[in-house]
Amino acid sequence: MGRAALLRYVPGAVVALFFAALPLLATGSDARYVLKVFTFVGVNALVVLGLALLFGYAGQVSLGHAAFFGLGAYTSAYLTTRLELPWIIGLLAAVLVTAIGGMLLALPSLRLKGHYLAMATLGFGEIMHVAFVEASGITGGPDGFSRIPLAALGGFVFESPQAKYWLVWGAVAVGFIIAGNIVSGRPGRSMLALHGSEQGAVASGVDITGLKVRVFTASAVYAGVAGCLYAHVVGFISPSSFTLHNSVIFVAMAVLGGGRSLAGPVAAALILTLAGFADAVFPGLSRETLAVIQDWQADLYGLIIISVMLLAPAGFAGLYRAGLRSVGVKL
Amino acid sequence: MGTAELLQFAIAGLKNGSIYALVALGFTIVYASTGVINFAQGEFVMLGGMLSWWSYSMFDVPLVVAGLMGVALTAVVGIVFELVAIRPRKDGNPLALIIITVGGSLLLSSLARHAFGPLEKSLPAFTPGPSFRVLGAAIDRQTLWIFALTAIAVVLLSLLYTRTRVGKAMRACSIDRSAARLVGVDPRSMVTLSFALAAALGALAGLATTPLTQTAFNIGPSFGIKGFAAAILGGLGNPFAAVIGGLTLGLLESMSIAFISSTFKDAISLLVLLLVLFVRPQGMFGRAVREKV
Amino acid sequence: MRRRFVALGVAVLLCAVAVLPGCTTDGEPGVDAGDAEPIRIGAVLSVTGPYAGLGVPERNAIELEVARINDAGGINGRPLEVLYEDDATDEAAAQAAAVKLIDRDGVVAIIGATGTGQSMAMRGDVERAGVAQVSMAGGNVITGEFSEWVFQTPWPNRVVVPFILSYLQEQGMTRVALISDSGGYGKDGVQITKEEAAGFGVEIVAEETYQRDDKDMTAQLTIIRGAAPDAIMLWGAGSEAPTVLKNAKDLGIEAPIIGAPGNARLELIEGAGDAAEGFTFAAGHILLPESYGVGTEAYEVATDFVDRYTEAYGVGPDIFAGHAYDALHIVVEALKRLPAEGFDAADVRDEIEATNGFIGVGGTFTYSADDHNGLSESDLTLYRVVDGVWVLAEEAE
Repeated sequence: MGRAALLRYVPGAVVALFFAALPLLATGSDARYVLKVFTFVGVNALVVLGLALLFGYAGQVSLGHAAFFGLGAYTSAYLTTRLELPWIIGLLAAVLVTAIGGMLLALPSLRLKGHYLAMATLGFGEIMHVAFVEASGITGGPDGFSRIPLAALGGFVFESPQAKYWLVWGAVAVGFIIAGNIVSGRPGRSMLALHGSEQGAVASGVDITGLKVRVFTASAVYAGVAGCLYAHVVGFISPSSFTLHNSVIFVAMAVLGGGRSLAGPVAAALILTLAGFADAVFPGLSRETLAVIQDWQADLYGLIIISVMLLAPAGFAGLYRAGLRSVGVKL
Repeated sequence: MGTAELLQFAIAGLKNGSIYALVALGFTIVYASTGVINFAQGEFVMLGGMLSWWSYSMFDVPLVVAGLMGVALTAVVGIVFELVAIRPRKDGNPLALIIITVGGSLLLSSLARHAFGPLEKSLPAFTPGPSFRVLGAAIDRQTLWIFALTAIAVVLLSLLYTRTRVGKAMRACSIDRSAARLVGVDPRSMVTLSFALAAALGALAGLATTPLTQTAFNIGPSFGIKGFAAAILGGLGNPFAAVIGGLTLGLLESMSIAFISSTFKDAISLLVLLLVLFVRPQGMFGRAVREKV
Repeated sequence: MRRRFVALGVAVLLCAVAVLPGCTTDGEPGVDAGDAEPIRIGAVLSVTGPYAGLGVPERNAIELEVARINDAGGINGRPLEVLYEDDATDEAAAQAAAVKLIDRDGVVAIIGATGTGQSMAMRGDVERAGVAQVSMAGGNVITGEFSEWVFQTPWPNRVVVPFILSYLQEQGMTRVALISDSGGYGKDGVQITKEEAAGFGVEIVAEETYQRDDKDMTAQLTIIRGAAPDAIMLWGAGSEAPTVLKNAKDLGIEAPIIGAPGNARLELIEGAGDAAEGFTFAAGHILLPESYGVGTEAYEVATDFVDRYTEAYGVGPDIFAGHAYDALHIVVEALKRLPAEGFDAADVRDEIEATNGFIGVGGTFTYSADDHNGLSESDLTLYRVVDGVWVLAEEAE
């Protein structure tokens, strides 16, 4: 293996190993907190992976993904809590329901472009939010849905913080591999063609309609699975976790990560999520410092978003590629 | 339902609608010069109310002076935002710029909380007094002010775009940047100007609504959503479309309350908006969209 | 591209440097009551995000009281240390904060959260670890959906609703319209009102809602006006309440509007101006401690708190500051009844449940094995806005 190949593949392997081994590294009284925070990171990363497919590869915008996140969460919560079905049924139902939702949302994308599509997806998200609040017989309304059981597979219950962490990051790994296969194959090339120019894609024989429907469906399912995991990790959900604000933050993560990349958006999800939990990364941080950081967290968010978009126009992925190039790796 | 009630619902709809229209005008101006939806537009509305309140309570000046200060200061914020956060992104990639405005929105509302605290602030009505009666329906004085300001804003904007050199230059930039540069227009200063104008208009909306609804650091996004919806419903790009979009949205909401349900008014009006887009993907009065984003 | 890369690196470094000076080791400064090991309790508050307007006065009240307790020698000779966490009005963050406080810091009880959803999200972890939680959120669900570990200090709507309905009954107002926000507080209030109305001979003649941040409620009020109610009940704590009052006045609605404790805010009177005149609302005695009767113990507690808070922060405490005062002191009183050393979090819970006749600023609390709210209708009183200030409704009549 040459130096270039080493530089190209080793970092990814190291990062993957780090995330797999984190529960073994985190010990002591901090462990439960640190793992919980990184579990939330994984949940967000999964949503953002779906958006990376949708936006980073196919060039379509969605400001409604928090609705899929919520749809997955409520579907699984309802089936496992009220109907007492096994978790795996909840998960499969969440996949099914969000897939149908994704197909529905693909319809406007067939006709609408740019800002008009953004508005349509935003409208979808807001309508779903009203539904989460008003369908209180199913969702528990604004008071929320509590006592959602833990995820369980066979006889194994994902109860310990380590188990929850591995469950979520296992899903991220699977999601990453599936997305990687999609983008490196024929669908990925068609998506890039679509991103470049719709007419061009049509001219080169891409089935635009089918492609858009499939990519919207896939990205909705990613959000739905993430929602299901969130519900069973936190044990409580309410409509306030599935708002336009969440949708916008998800999109910001995907864009900050950079187009034509999966790892970049995951890195962005990591950084932006951790911005609110600085002491999970720097355990020595004093409470006073942390309080200041938390007080300025929204400002920090805004500043990170603006400065990355200005200083690294191609996002984290572009930054990383530039870094590789600067040490002599050809891409 | 009698005519007095119907008229009352219409007035309520037009009142909300003209607020949405004022916000939508701000979206339109920035869109026309950059092709970008400015997600920080709602924060300009918030700042307009906040900075007017600040001027009013700090300097003990008449409301009209405080209001002018609030609008002017917000315009300065708009200019600074454009110079610091928009202009340095040289490729003008619309999606990147939109995400920058998202960041700006988070930053501005949080800075406002640091500066003015988390509680809501109020301003007195422009001209206090009892509401007027028209055919049994009530119109309060502040609502008349909002109608008037919306009308003035849309007329002045149209005049600006069609009659003045600067306005024509702004339009030229939105049509073809490099051609505009060839005839001696600096597209970058036109973008800065459009942010200043949009911020001032947003601030005006904030100033006019604060006596009715108060203002607080976190109200920006709610104005932003309605204004964006209004701008899209009308069709991006021209001031009249934005105003019609705003008024339509307001009327849709009030008629939903009157005839269907107040709980679902937002869902209903958004559903109608989706249907309109399905029939006319470029909004009611928009030109067919060029491929962008 | 390379230069940008460097620039970003420099920016990151600068940020790191800016943060580093604050990095100290574990030693927690600020407590000076003796050398004894401090008693640690946690406080999860929404100091930022949409509920910042509630969380900030809550933190103010807790800081004020902790300083006073420690100046007076702490609890059984040990200083009291409150560890603050900001949940940014986010449920996942509230849960993470609870985990941090319980597992890392080993707190013996938690005050919080500010909001109902955040309080509910913490429940799984306080139950798992066996740590008592005293919530400052008003949601009925918090103690309605019972947990042996969770307590609550505000008046839940199941206490407020019968109080207001019996007032309406006394006044002979039988036709009542409801206007509410579509959030948890409004929904809860409307639902309980509809369940209980018939028992008080009250008929609901109209029911309208508005969304948070709505700019105008004229359309909803036009429908309500058409139903010709004797009174209008307003269920909405937020900044939309003054807009409702103004719109109602503009429409010439004469029926009195009656609100709930969430409306006990100076911002409501400021925002509504003239339109606030005559607005009647139910709230605890803290707004006018003389409503307890001058010289009573409750009067002394409330005036003392109001005076000290006003001196420290320049404004009077609102009801949220009061809820935080109560939450802190309920925990503190429980700790005082325990020995100085050798108790655990479960003992603290048992002592909190044994709270009997504690006089706080929100009312007199008596918890029991099946009542973790501990307030009753007698802890509420009716206020009316007259000439821009709130006065006792019975005196205004």
